[in-house]
Amino acid sequence: MEAAHAHHGHEAHGHHPTGIMRWITTTNHKDIGTLYLLFALTMFFVGGVLALMLRLELFEPGMQFWRPEFFNQLTTMHGLIMVFGAIMPAFVGFANWQVPLMIGAPDMAFARMNNWSFWLLPPAAVLLVVSFFVPGGAIAAGWTLYAPLSTQMGPGTDLAIFAVHILGASSIMGSINIITTILNMRAPGMTLMKMPLFVWTWLITAYLLIAVMPVLAGAVTMVLTDRHFGTSFFNAAGGGDPVMFQHIFWFFGHPEVYIMILPGFGIISQIVPTFARKPLFGYSSMVYATASIAILSFMVWAHHMFTVGMPAAAQLFFMYATMLIAVPTGVKVFNWIATMWKGSMTFETPMLFACGFIFVFSMGGFTGLVLAITPVDIQLQDTYYVVAHFHYVLVAGSLFALFGGAYYWLPKWIGRMYDETLGKWHFWLSMVFFNVTFFPMHFTGLAGLPRRVPDYNMQFADFNMISTIGAFGFGLSQLIFVYLLWKAIGGAGEKATDKVWEGAQGLEWTLPSPPPYHTFETPPVVK
Amino acid sequence: MECSERAHATEFTRFARRNNSLSSSGRLFVFAFLFIVSIGIAAAFAVIGAWPILPFAGLEMGVLYLAFRVFERHAADYERIAIAGDRVEVEICEAGRARCHEFNRYWAQVVSGEGARLALRSHGREVEIGRHLNDDQRRALARELGRRLHGTAGH
Repeated sequence: MEAAHAHHGHEAHGHHPTGIMRWITTTNHKDIGTLYLLFALTMFFVGGVLALMLRLELFEPGMQFWRPEFFNQLTTMHGLIMVFGAIMPAFVGFANWQVPLMIGAPDMAFARMNNWSFWLLPPAAVLLVVSFFVPGGAIAAGWTLYAPLSTQMGPGTDLAIFAVHILGASSIMGSINIITTILNMRAPGMTLMKMPLFVWTWLITAYLLIAVMPVLAGAVTMVLTDRHFGTSFFNAAGGGDPVMFQHIFWFFGHPEVYIMILPGFGIISQIVPTFARKPLFGYSSMVYATASIAILSFMVWAHHMFTVGMPAAAQLFFMYATMLIAVPTGVKVFNWIATMWKGSMTFETPMLFACGFIFVFSMGGFTGLVLAITPVDIQLQDTYYVVAHFHYVLVAGSLFALFGGAYYWLPKWIGRMYDETLGKWHFWLSMVFFNVTFFPMHFTGLAGLPRRVPDYNMQFADFNMISTIGAFGFGLSQLIFVYLLWKAIGGAGEKATDKVWEGAQGLEWTLPSPPPYHTFETPPVVK
Repeated sequence: MECSERAHATEFTRFARRNNSLSSSGRLFVFAFLFIVSIGIAAAFAVIGAWPILPFAGLEMGVLYLAFRVFERHAADYERIAIAGDRVEVEICEAGRARCHEFNRYWAQVVSGEGARLALRSHGREVEIGRHLNDDQRRALARELGRRLHGTAGH
């Protein structure tokens, strides 16, 4: 793919405010992308501190630091903040920065709506954090907000419900913007099957968001009306059904899992060809695999709730449907490895994170297959095996993809190279401490340690101590990333070239580093 | 008289449309697809008693409809430059409203601005042209207009 004609310097005619008003009123996709990414990084540390507070309590058996009620609040808020405050906004930040640059569009389709989408996030984050300080504390029903727990808890639950509403509205506006931009504003010559994989994965993710966000909004609204307006959607005493909440939540929740990983697949599909210096192997199969995963994600929700009791036929259906997801996911992993095969590979930090992602995410995928088997899941439901599984796909999956993407595009965004040595330290320490934290959880989970419980039997003491040491190591390793960012943004690194990476392909690399405030005001022609 | 009514008498015409990577029927298809999926899911939940999902899905589809509608209104935006006798006409259509700017051929100047931006200027009036063209096409238009107006390239 080649841009016949890439950009023109337009800084001069972009009369935008400066100082704080620039960031509040901005409608520029690059500014909004930066805001999303900084917000997500902040929330990542807030959620991370909550996780360390959990691990602190779990360092030894017995109750040392927190009351059990507060421990449950910590688990719930850690999940909510990481899912809705860190991972999702981070991917939206990448979409804001990269989608227009990668398709040759001047900006997002609805620039003002883009600004609103972002500025809804901070109030939602404040609601979530403030809920710790209201009577009864924050919601403690788990990030899944299961009824009847959530219909009985204190006002912290209401704040969480409002926060979820606001975050949902932000996601819906963001995804409408992304779908409209990708479909309508591609540069001439950029057909759908010429789009970079990151753009494809975001198109499909935005579709998933549009399909399931109303389901989440409806679910939490029903919890709200059950709490305050006398309805009985989930109250068995009033003719409702608490299990219906689980069906509704997971109908949203399982596609949500793919919402958090598909853009990560897209990032990895950009990084691997660059550092293998080969085109992506099996581009069209990657697109079809992504679409298949999205379609299958609507048919597997009940694997999260095998233990509530369901007919054998339903158990079989959801078990096999879940296993089927391994096929398109396997296609992706195969294609990444095939791209590397006989490639001229180098291992700069983005590639390290991409390789780490492929290795560790695959392990999370395999434990997912284990959990898909109904009789096994009935044993492992709500144990640390599940915690290990979803942290392997969300931390080593989504988060490593985000870090890989950040290192990959950072020189393009800020015009300076980052400190490669620090980047490598960040990767290796994250990789090691991640496994030290979460690998033992497979063992404790298989041995029956239940999740979301602040105390445990002596038999689990050693593994929990190892997990806690790993968690603090992982948390502290992330400070390297902050220092690296601070150094790079401060201009410490050498000037980045336009192409940054020798093997990089795509429209964004035809622009200067950093790109001018306005880019592609007239579309380039893609050959 | 509308610009378009005089089009047949021109000796030079350039016509450029806004870049649209999706056709109107494509937009309709995408909207219909998303509508069926989203409302279908919400309706299925309504049948089992979880009706509050339906208004949220409806609201979302309303916003999506407005977004596509706004895009659709601008999909037919175009710009036409015509030279007929001693007149230069610039017809700019935005959101279904066409505006016609007329210049005297011998007074009109082609002005190149920041970043290959292009305008036609005369008697203190300036109209930006070539907004739907890319830089190369705009430079070519500047050369062509300069030659046609005064036998020179643009200033």
